[in-house]
Amino acid sequence: MGAWLGFVAEIVVLGLHNLLRNKLRSLLTMLGMIFGVGSVIAMLSVGAGARHQILASIGELGVRNIIVNSIRPPQEKKGDEGESWAERYGLTFRDRGLIEETCSSVERVLPVNVTKKRVWYGSSRVEGSVLGVLPEHMALFGMTVGRGRPLSELDERTAAHVCVIRSSLLRELGVLRDPLGMTLSIQSFSFEVVGVLEDARFQSHTRKALAIDDRAQEIYIPYSTSMRTFGTLSVVERAGQSEKSIVELDQLIVIAKTSELVFPTSRILSSILSNLHKRRDWEIVIPLELLQQSEKTQAVFNIVMVLIAAISLVVGGIGIANIMLATITERTREIGVRRALGATRRDVVLQFLIETAVIGLVGGLIGCLFGLGVIELLVRFTGWTALVEPQFIAASLGISAAVAVVSGIYPARRAAQLDPIAALRNE
Amino acid sequence: MVERIVELEQVEKDYGQGAAALTVLKGVSLVIERGEFVAIVGASGSGKTTLMNILGCLDRPSRGAYRLDGHDVSKLNDYGLSRVRNQRIGFVFQSFNLIPQLTVVENVEVPLLYSRWPRRDRRRRCLELLEAVGLSHRLSHHPTQLSGGECQRVAVARALVNEPALLLADEPTGNLDSRNGEEVMRIFGELHSAGRTIVLVTHNPEIALALPRTVEMRDGLVVRERRAATGVAS
Repeated sequence: MGAWLGFVAEIVVLGLHNLLRNKLRSLLTMLGMIFGVGSVIAMLSVGAGARHQILASIGELGVRNIIVNSIRPPQEKKGDEGESWAERYGLTFRDRGLIEETCSSVERVLPVNVTKKRVWYGSSRVEGSVLGVLPEHMALFGMTVGRGRPLSELDERTAAHVCVIRSSLLRELGVLRDPLGMTLSIQSFSFEVVGVLEDARFQSHTRKALAIDDRAQEIYIPYSTSMRTFGTLSVVERAGQSEKSIVELDQLIVIAKTSELVFPTSRILSSILSNLHKRRDWEIVIPLELLQQSEKTQAVFNIVMVLIAAISLVVGGIGIANIMLATITERTREIGVRRALGATRRDVVLQFLIETAVIGLVGGLIGCLFGLGVIELLVRFTGWTALVEPQFIAASLGISAAVAVVSGIYPARRAAQLDPIAALRNE
Repeated sequence: MVERIVELEQVEKDYGQGAAALTVLKGVSLVIERGEFVAIVGASGSGKTTLMNILGCLDRPSRGAYRLDGHDVSKLNDYGLSRVRNQRIGFVFQSFNLIPQLTVVENVEVPLLYSRWPRRDRRRRCLELLEAVGLSHRLSHHPTQLSGGECQRVAVARALVNEPALLLADEPTGNLDSRNGEEVMRIFGELHSAGRTIVLVTHNPEIALALPRTVEMRDGLVVRERRAATGVAS
């Protein structure tokens, strides 16, 4: 066994020598392999990065949560009542009550009241999304208060006029002073800033699922305050007209007891709401479902990429086979000599297989470096995330060696089948 | 210890099949004993190359028996023949047949590689042999950096490295000038004195006449044998 390993090691060294003897040709031989392995690595890493990002952003929404949003139904007929009186749609307090009473799989239902308001500080004004939330809402979505304190149970019970804001709002308002304790005017009501959230790190589809307007700044106030101060009527100025609407509950966050119960619960919610609402003025967003969908899309994407990478690896393998056949013609004399000196057919096969494996491995290594370079460029210029895991590199090296060995089989057998006498006579 | 190194009995060799078959050897019987130094001569087409290939186990006789060093090798398969070549035969070729990408030492090591000698023993043995042929100063040179005479001395070292029962030389001086040719023949003479069994194929009558025994081939048959009175050449 030791002697055999020694023999293999010897041939590996020989293969490396042969590789270095004609560098340009070796490089051209390995080129297909380099591109193949490079694309495999880049593809796997970008895929993993995307997956990781999606997982993180959906994790933000929470896998046990079901988000029910009120949506403005498609307008059936414009005219008589729509102009004069506020349109009434969306989730109602009754819906909430029913859900809480009938769904045993629901741990908690959190209402959210969302209104668009103008926010003033001195003479600066911004558009703000004012979210009335229960105290546990903020912890649920992983919002951490950088300075000051989050909304508390006491704020909720006393319907205090306090708010928690994003630090980006301060920049937009041009506030330089310590924001804690300062007073913002929302519509015509004064609110004291008690906490500042770290900068927005919600990704766009999280924001969309939570019905947070991309352009507006979020301001969190206690739910009870929101209900008492602004009520359910919202007025939006649009194209010179004011659109009034009455939405009792803008959003319900339904938390299932376990993640297995998410889908059954969402079906129950769906049937309750279908029975209670004539129009489709609600939507259900299930982060877990988003997760699974994106995993599915990701899987399809991965399969396509793997196919493409496989094709380039096969092409690389054919390149190696081609060069090995040429090499064997070139080295017929050497093969004859080795056979005369006692190499068995198996020895010859082994020698050429090891040489192709060396080519494959070296090509694979260069391909890995190439792939890492490509990833670096992609990350730098497209802003994608990539996750290079060590097993990707191991896998691509293994695959490249395997492809090389497979493509070496035919040339190696050809070499072994040469008649020693004829091979020796070859010039 | 077997005294008959080579024992050919009515060896025939055909090439091709059916009507197109060509019989190159037509019944050659030959016995070569341990320590003999035999020249095989003959015109081209006389069958001496084919005989050489069979003696060297590169080819099998179509009919007849061949016993090499006491073992019947006429029925061996490719694997068996490879092992026999590796263990019992040393080849010296006209065009040296060194492997260009290997150094001198590595070339000498090749047969040992195929008998799976451990690296250290291999190196030691090769160094001894290269010293014996006067090439200790050229160990890590490549064949292209050597003169023809030096190449052939490397080839002789390589042929001896596995302690073969039979040393086969095919026109070993054919590609050398007379001075280098004489040097190589001197080495063969020394090996013969040391008790090696050598078979040498040559066109050169001068070389053949200097050897203790000459076998002449014509049309696939041994037509004449000559033995010198004394057993030792030169």
